[in-house]
Amino acid sequence: MGLLNFTRDPVPEAVSGDMHNLNQLSAQQFSALTEVLFRFLTEPKEVERFLTQLSDFATMNKISLGPLKNIVKSILLVPNGALKRNLSSEQVRADFIALGLSEEKASYFAEQWKVNSPTLTRLAVGQTLMINQLIDMEWKFGVTAGSSELEKVGSIFLQLKLVIKKGSQLENVYVELTLPQFYSFLHEMERVKTSLESFS
Amino acid sequence: MAALRDGDFAALQILLKAPSKDAVRQLCQECFSSPAAALGPLAQRACPGLAVSAQEAEQLVSALHNLTRHAVYRGLTRAEDILCLFPENFHQNLKNLLTKIILENISAWRNEAQASQISLPRLVDMDWRVDIKTSSDSIARMAVPTCLLQLKIQEDAALCGNNPVVSALTVELSKETLDTMLEGLGRIRDQLSAVANK
Repeated sequence: MGLLNFTRDPVPEAVSGDMHNLNQLSAQQFSALTEVLFRFLTEPKEVERFLTQLSDFATMNKISLGPLKNIVKSILLVPNGALKRNLSSEQVRADFIALGLSEEKASYFAEQWKVNSPTLTRLAVGQTLMINQLIDMEWKFGVTAGSSELEKVGSIFLQLKLVIKKGSQLENVYVELTLPQFYSFLHEMERVKTSLESFS
Repeated sequence: MAALRDGDFAALQILLKAPSKDAVRQLCQECFSSPAAALGPLAQRACPGLAVSAQEAEQLVSALHNLTRHAVYRGLTRAEDILCLFPENFHQNLKNLLTKIILENISAWRNEAQASQISLPRLVDMDWRVDIKTSSDSIARMAVPTCLLQLKIQEDAALCGNNPVVSALTVELSKETLDTMLEGLGRIRDQLSAVANK
């Protein structure tokens, strides 16, 4: 096996056996399995659904679930590595062929990869580390009518509640701004937006 | 909030023993700015200058505190309104002097009261920077701009006394979050203009 694109580590021995088994599937069966796989990759939280669909596939095609799961594990090695390394569909196809998958099936998978990669890339980027991510912002503003020290006040206040993700917990931060501070804050945020847009 | 009591005006007459008009002025300012709890020590400091007993000094300081705060509370900006506060038999010159001092200081005192009003933690400063994320463990190559916003927030002044606690909070915003935030801020601005134009 030559150098693979999707990984630099040696591939587990079971993989070539699994590819051989995959080659035994008809084109339709392979296409159905690929669909189940990509649906899982694009919605990685739906583990239950994925397992149910795999089990249904096993039953319908008279394959034992255990070996099927091993095959699926082997297949998934490629798209996971391909995502990390921003591989093109040609590289994915080449890797599957190098692992022992038939040209026809490798091309088919690579096509599906091309179609799904924008969604998958966006998911991966979304998982990237963020420090104290701002999740939500609530606000209210009003007029201070009076206080214990001043009978009549009549000044405007703005209160912001920022919901921040610290690690796995959410924290609320409350801040009060005066009117001039608000306008200054708005102005600065508009400058940030311009800056972010110039880099997109 | 301090309310004027009958004994206050009697105590104020002690000011007639003050060495100078400036001493009275100084004392008025200190009495206004001091919170009620700190009046005791203030009275002790004022004692020697006025050559009065500790008890009399306390009564005076308390009375001046009440008088100045009452004037600020009611927002009295006219001489007539302040003069009205004093009883008929109050020393004329002292009455005029105190009125003058109050008028001189009333807007500064009003600002001071507003600044030390209770509030949620206040924003005191804000800095930002834009980073480009080029790589991560989940994806080797990318070019995702992101914003880091640092807010310096000061806890309620009344709770901290003279040592306000300022904490710095750094928050990260993606472009989408920033757009949503700007939408919200824009709505605030529109509502503020609607209120201002009424």
